Formats: sequence, C-alpha cells, structure tokens
Amino acid sequence: MLLTMEFPLGREIMTTVRLAVGGVCSLVGFGLDACEDCKVCVTESLLLLLHAGCGRAKIVFSREDGLKIEISGEGGGVPAEKTTEEEISVALLTALVDDLVTEHTENGARISFGFKGL
Amino acid sequence: MDETELFATYRASGDLALRNQIVERYLPIAAMIAKKFVGRGVEFDDLYQIASLALIKGVDRFDGSKGVKFSTFITPTIAGEIKNYFRDRSRLVHLPRRVSELRQSVRKTADEIFSQTGRNPSPCEIATALGVTEEEVVTAMESGGVVSLDRPADGENEDGASYYELIASPEDEFEHLERKDAIRSALKDLTEEERQIVACRFGKELSQSETARRLNVTQMHVSRMERKILEKLKENLRKSAVD
Repeated sequence: MLLTMEFPLGREIMTTVRLAVGGVCSLVGFGLDACEDCKVCVTESLLLLLHAGCGRAKIVFSREDGLKIEISGEGGGVPAEKTTEEEISVALLTALVDDLVTEHTENGARISFGFKGL
Repeated sequence: MDETELFATYRASGDLALRNQIVERYLPIAAMIAKKFVGRGVEFDDLYQIASLALIKGVDRFDGSKGVKFSTFITPTIAGEIKNYFRDRSRLVHLPRRVSELRQSVRKTADEIFSQTGRNPSPCEIATALGVTEEEVVTAMESGGVVSLDRPADGENEDGASYYELIASPEDEFEHLERKDAIRSALKDLTEEERQIVACRFGKELSQSETARRLNVTQMHVSRMERKILEKLKENLRKSAVD
C-alpha cells in the first residue's frame, strides 16, 4: 500500500483531494496527462459516492501495475446512474480507467480501478 | 419525442434540422464533460468547441437500436476527442497518432520483456511481440524526445558548450567585423558636427527634427548635412574598397 486518506465527504474537500492525488501520481512517475486523468477519476468516484449518500470516504492507493485506487464510501447506498451527471461520471470512469469495479460493502460502497498511467 | 424516437427519425430521414435539434439537446453534456478537463492549460471555450464537434460526429454515428443510452455512448467519445487534443498539443513536434501510440506500446512491451527475462529486448523481439516490422519499432523508438538547446552538448559537463552555442551563426562574423572596421575608418574623416548628426540619426535613430532640436540647428540644415555626410561616407567606403 502506498497511501491511505480518510476524510468527511463533501464538495469543499475535492480540491484538497485532487491536490493529494496529483502528489501520489507524481510519486509513481505518471506524466501530466495521466495525472490529470487520475484526478478526474477520483473526483468522479467521490461525486458518485456523495450522490449515493455517503458521509465519509477513504481512498487507498497502492502500486499494482501502475496505480490501483480503491475509494470507499461510508453511510450510503451503491452509486447509481439516476441523473445525467451520474451517467456521465460512470461513462467517464469507464472511458478513462482499466477495470472499473463498483460494489456493496458492509456500510456503504466501494469503487476501485487501476491506472496504468501510460 | 423521446431519445430513441428522435434518433430513429433522424436516421431514417437524415434531416439536418433534426440533427441540430439533437445536438442542441445534448450540448449541456458536452459542456459538462469539457468542464471536467479544465485546468490543463486549455481554455474552457476551446474544450467546449472540441466537445461540441465530437458531439456532432457522435450523433451521426450513434445507433439507438443497440440499447445503449446516447449519454453513455457520447461521453467516452467526447472524452477521447479531448484527450487526443491534449496529446497532440503536448508535443512541440507533432508525431502521427499511429507512431505516438506505437511508441507507448514499444515502451510497455520492452518493460514486460525486461521483467520476464531480466535483459533489455532487441527491436526484433519487440517487433515480434507487437506484430509489427522491426523498422517500425526502430522508427517509433527514435521518434521521441525534444532536446533543449541549453543542454550541454557532451551530455554531462554542465560547464561545457550547449547545443545552442554550437549552432553556426547565420551571419558571417568575419564579414560583420570587416564591415564594422570599414565604417569606423570612413567616420574618421567626418567633422565633429557631422559625427554628431550620424550618431543622432543612425545611432539613436532620431528623426531629422529631433536631431535638429538636440543640436540646436534647423531641420533643413540636418537634411542638407545628412545628404553631404552620406556622399562623403560612400566616397570613403569606395576608396577603402579599392585600397
């Protein structure tokens, strides 16, 4: 495992999280574009969890064929594609990452994906 | 008219007015996606334009009978176009997309072979693994990298000459020196006043009236003197060329 972040989920914390994600991407040697794509994906995942009613989030970064990112939300349901914004978030994630997985957890939901950073 | 109906009617009729109606309906999606790529050095308006063009192309390509919602179909299409734009724009020397993609595959395959065998693979091995010719692999390997002109030419010595210093000057330095010397000797024969006029008019590049004001003479005088000086200089230069 490379890094874990836990924080209350809200729109106001997105910029801070994006900055931290940028730092992690730089640490693993991603280029600028890959780094920006990764930021978009983490933001979209957090927005999906936020819309699903999650109040807290945890991001686990690990080195695994590039970067593996697991984003768990607590206190909400499973992200759905009810609104256009949510549909776009899911479609964007699918377009930008490898092996997107969305699943139930005991107390919320988890979104995970791999990022090769090529 | 719902989405399925709208696209079915457009596909059947090819009516441009209908296509415009569809595009207008989905423009907010283009804007939403473009917004997600802001902050990478490209203005939102430019991203929105790229996204809108991708949307127009997407409307023509979308097949509603496959059971996919248009928003699901168009999002990766627009994101892909924007990413292509970033990729093309990020290089000072634009590589053809095929070469650029092959470069990435070559690097990835080389890493994979290295982790399996513990040694750097040959272009031939990479070519076999990728199903391309050896020549294509070599071209892709050589096509990358922009080198700074400030970089030391020998690659290591920071105090050594840079690439920039090694580039030949477009002007012949000897010719430049020769010309300077000829002008200097031609100016020697000028009077103090004439030299002042030359300094103002051709050194400081002042106008005739400004020169006149500074030297406390009339503009007509400067004009007459200028003609006289130029004739004198021409004659001196002609003489020195003959000598």
